[in-house]
Amino acid sequence: MLAYIIRRIIQSIIVVLIVLFITFSLPYFQPHGIVAPAYVVYGTKATPANIALWAHQNGMDHPFLVRFWQYITQLLFHFNLGHSYKQNMSVWAIIKLYVPRTIWLALTSLILATVIGLVVGIIQASRRNTVFDYTATGTVFILYSVPAFLLSLLLIDLFAFHWPHLPASPPSGVAPWAMFTDPKGFILPVAALTLLSVAGLSRFFRGAVLEVLVQDYIRTARAKGCGNARVLFRHAFRNALGPIITLLGLYIPGLLGGALIIESVFNYEGLGLQTLNAALNLDVPTVLGITLLVSLLTVAGNLLADVMLGLVNPRIRIEGGGR
Amino acid sequence: MSSAEATALPTATESPELQSTQVVPMWRQRWRIFRHNKLAVISLIFLIIITLACYLVPWLHPTNQTNQAATFNVPWNAPPSAAHPLGTDSSGFDELGRIFYGGEYSLTLGFLAGFITIVVGTVYGMVSGFFGGIVDTVLMRIVDAVLSIPYLFLLIALISIFGRSTTFLILVIGLTGWFGNSRIVRGDALLIKNLEYSQAATAMGAGKAHIIRRHVFPNSISNIVTVATFSVADAILFLSALGFLGLGIQTPQTDWGTMLQAGAYQLQNGFWWEVYPLAAVFILVVVSLNYIGDALRDAFEVRLIER
Repeated sequence: MLAYIIRRIIQSIIVVLIVLFITFSLPYFQPHGIVAPAYVVYGTKATPANIALWAHQNGMDHPFLVRFWQYITQLLFHFNLGHSYKQNMSVWAIIKLYVPRTIWLALTSLILATVIGLVVGIIQASRRNTVFDYTATGTVFILYSVPAFLLSLLLIDLFAFHWPHLPASPPSGVAPWAMFTDPKGFILPVAALTLLSVAGLSRFFRGAVLEVLVQDYIRTARAKGCGNARVLFRHAFRNALGPIITLLGLYIPGLLGGALIIESVFNYEGLGLQTLNAALNLDVPTVLGITLLVSLLTVAGNLLADVMLGLVNPRIRIEGGGR
Repeated sequence: MSSAEATALPTATESPELQSTQVVPMWRQRWRIFRHNKLAVISLIFLIIITLACYLVPWLHPTNQTNQAATFNVPWNAPPSAAHPLGTDSSGFDELGRIFYGGEYSLTLGFLAGFITIVVGTVYGMVSGFFGGIVDTVLMRIVDAVLSIPYLFLLIALISIFGRSTTFLILVIGLTGWFGNSRIVRGDALLIKNLEYSQAATAMGAGKAHIIRRHVFPNSISNIVTVATFSVADAILFLSALGFLGLGIQTPQTDWGTMLQAGAYQLQNGFWWEVYPLAAVFILVVVSLNYIGDALRDAFEVRLIER
């Protein structure tokens, strides 16, 4: 088990290094290269001499690899993700403001979606090829093809304009946890992200449960006189948990991408909306800083999923990971 | 089977029993299974009609879609009428014509970007899976890394750095969307190169290029075709998402995502015709592509072919 975890951690570190390399080298491709921020800082006074001075003061004239090393150490020891010259704030300060909101949105929706997806998936798998199965599969299939922004638009049009019961966007300038103290404004964005996640997850959940239901030990359990509920929840569910955890880990990038769109449609002040506004303002350091952060979250999430997988699956726990 | 044996056996015309199991060319066999799936056939027909309409209607029945000055006499945000079957949008452009006009961009970009993702993904996956070892490890770690960057964030970052011309939108989606595909192709290549026929070819002295060309590629074509369908659907979806976020094609050109964004602002005024007809077309296109992909996967499933 320990060897398995160590191996996964080393793999994750390599992946993180490559991601760091990507986010580090992208600014070189900007119209003015890495000194582009100097043009924002100096504005009309951007003479070649000023630009050179700025580049020297900010260590932009160091060799590529030296800068890459500085980038990594700055990130590791100072949480320095760069500086937004458009907003004159450090990117970390921007992230600190908005990350809790995105995490609450994403986490609440993910939990709701997992519960709904599991219930639907288990019922589907146990009543395969019934009306319920077909209806659920069809609904999920269409939901899966509806882009996030259309689904959000539809929800807004229905519940905010047509039957005006819910606000079209959550209140702004409130605490990140306002979702739980004053939930009314958050119902629509959370519902949208939940529906999207159900669409993304439930057909895999159905597959994961189905895969288990055809195994010999399920037949044995039934032969021993085990009731249907007991077979499903004690035997099938526990064995399907492994693939389900892996799926949840793999779904994190999709979840964050969905959150980005939903934040922009509902004007929900989170990381995604911030990224989008930064991109529209050509605020490259902010975009890259947030992109790096969500990637790190993804890698961490996948690592966590794999470690949990090791914990719930004795085959991995004992072998030390022979995948 | 040698030719001597073959002549000794009854031919298909003599034995009705053999007639049912006679060899049917692979592609026709797959088409039979595909045809069996009614929804997929309907999807295919729908997709062909929509594609033709998007390319032909702006040409056969041109409506003003770019000249803002010429919309002076046209009512803006007008509800559907005889002159404008689906009304006009907030710039006075005919909505029905605009659906086809925007579709031309959405479909062209989607197909081209999807095509690039499948070509790059196939080559990369083939190389990685076939050569294996250190090459495979290095190439796949790069894929892991890129796939751990949430895709929409990556697209937005690239667009904020490289700008957004139409060509660049195709390239950015095409050149970033293939990483997932390469993993699937690599899995196939890894499997096929160890199968008996590939090893037999190696034993007979076939070179690596020959084995890839004659054995690995033809045998993984089923997955590649299926993945290609989903890639096009994804490319259209992501392109529309970018359009909706305001990072899509720039005016006066437009695409479905950009149109939906413009329509979204009018929804609270009750101008439903600026969103729902297009939304329906758009969703149907994506649903069709997904259905076709599913049916293709079934058609290529060997177990189903042998039934």
